[in-house]
Amino acid sequence: MNGDRLKIEVSNLTKRYGALTAVRDLTFTVEPGVVTGFLGPNGAGKTTTMRMLTGLVSPTSGTATIAGRPYGRLPRPSRTVGAVLDANACHPGHTARDHLRVYAAMGGYPDSRVTDLLDLLGLTEAADRRTRGFSTGMRQRLNLATALLGDPRVLLLDEPSNGLDPEGMRWLRSFLRRLADEGRTVLISSHVLSEIQQLVDDVVVIRRGELVAAGPWSRLAGPPAVLVSSPDADRLAAALRVSRPAPRVEAVEGGRLRVRGLDAPDVADLAAAHRLRVHELVTENTSLEELFLHLTTGKAAAP
Amino acid sequence: MNHLIKAEFRRLFATRMWSGLLLAAALLGGGMMGAMALVGPENFTPPMPGMDTETGLRSILGILGYTAFVPAAAGTLAVTSEYRHRTAAVTFLFAPRRWQVVAAKLATYAVAGLAYGLILAGTAAAALFAVAAASGTSLGLPPGTVLALLARIGLAMVVYLLIGVGVGALLRNQVVALCVVIGYLYMGETLLMMIPGVNALYPVLPGGATASLTDFTYLADAMSQELGSTAVQLLPPAAGALLLTAYALAASLIAVIIPMRRDIT
Ligand SMILES: Nc1ncnc2c1ncn2[C@@H]1O[C@H](COP(=O)(O)OP(=O)(O)O)[C@@H](O)[C@H]1O
Ligand SMILES: [Mg+2]
Repeated sequence: MNGDRLKIEVSNLTKRYGALTAVRDLTFTVEPGVVTGFLGPNGAGKTTTMRMLTGLVSPTSGTATIAGRPYGRLPRPSRTVGAVLDANACHPGHTARDHLRVYAAMGGYPDSRVTDLLDLLGLTEAADRRTRGFSTGMRQRLNLATALLGDPRVLLLDEPSNGLDPEGMRWLRSFLRRLADEGRTVLISSHVLSEIQQLVDDVVVIRRGELVAAGPWSRLAGPPAVLVSSPDADRLAAALRVSRPAPRVEAVEGGRLRVRGLDAPDVADLAAAHRLRVHELVTENTSLEELFLHLTTGKAAAP
Repeated sequence: MNHLIKAEFRRLFATRMWSGLLLAAALLGGGMMGAMALVGPENFTPPMPGMDTETGLRSILGILGYTAFVPAAAGTLAVTSEYRHRTAAVTFLFAPRRWQVVAAKLATYAVAGLAYGLILAGTAAAALFAVAAASGTSLGLPPGTVLALLARIGLAMVVYLLIGVGVGALLRNQVVALCVVIGYLYMGETLLMMIPGVNALYPVLPGGATASLTDFTYLADAMSQELGSTAVQLLPPAAGALLLTAYALAASLIAVIIPMRRDIT
């Protein structure tokens, strides 16, 4: 399966738990070669969707396929899909190596894979310690190692930023980037937009089990905007308009300017070059951040 | 399927439970049997016939049979720990055909149960013969018969371990499943025996079937005497063995079929 570019397709997926509809008529596609963020506030249905994708939860209706097949029909699923749906899954009495050896045997992978993955995830030193004493981050890495045993072309991670320190996040970001660049399919969920925004190319946003938005981050996020307060607003606006590439500049109340197409340092540098005063410089939320804020605080209805 | 069995063996050997289980077999077999033989059933409260009589010998062998809740609890513990520590989801990701996972566990634990039974019966035989030789007691049954009875008890342990696995796979909650298994096997059946009418069922319950393997009616008899109810009639040993096997098969079948469509959340 090396080099395969595999799609994830969710269509009209619904899951009801009694009176509660956890996922409602959800349809979206996850493309290979990019990192896709699966976003939504807590309780939106992300975990339920990912569990239906991997056959752990059976849908009430609709389908979820990977490479055109339901998970259970994949010939050797751990070779195709690696999933971390619960970062704490390990027996406290097992060592990290024991845990990996169990699943290496189950998937039919050689013990050399175990050593390699312990190494890749920085667990070599902890390999022979019982997982009872592991930190959340170490358990997370152990579960990621387990998911990677079969060198899968599709990777599913549910809330990977939980329990990872900033350095762990940086590592994860570059690791996922590399996998995506190899043409693999990467889907990661989060309820905190800011934690994964530097990590994802595409996003799928859901709320209360329903799709809210899906597509490339750059399109959904819209151009960044900078809000400038300056006593020299008129001259600054003129200077901005003649700069190249020309940003869009509009005057807003309070004698301020909203600038789209330049970031805050660009605006500040340009003002300094023209010896214009800047009293305040604020980077505004992108439209996706705005949307997400509304979703999580529940202030606005779905657009 | 071979991959799954190999994985389950690795899982079993990696925990301390495995060595604990073998130690328990030696303690209950050699230790308890040795202690009972040393003290002598005639000194029990209430006193029982001595080891030099057939009834006395069958009784202490029968008491060994009552320790079957230990392997049953071990089987339950092993299966439910997958749910307790949330590795069941990982396991089912690697092996989406869930019945195969449970089947592999049953195969693995049948072997573990056999090891347990062998150690239990072997150490019990050693202790019994050693004490008898040392104290110059001639046992109430010929050595061949004693060994055959112990072998039956050893095999009954395999069955109980599998029943434990089945109940664990069915109930999933570790504490609940352990309470059910230990509570029923250790106390539940004995309590059932005290209920008039229900005690007629005793011969076909797992405990009654196990007792029939050694024709151990002393406890049941004592109880019916105490309660003034009619004495229970155990099944013939072969029928008891068949019935126990049927229990293990039923538990296994339930264990294999039930998890198939349940949501793992
Ligand atoms: N096994 C279950 N039984 C009943 N309700 C459930 C179950 N699993 C999830 N839910 C409910 O479904 C909704 C979606 O949950 P979940 O998929 O975990 O959301 P998320 O992962 O986005 O936080 C929540 O309201 C949750 O309470
Ligand atoms: Mg979740």
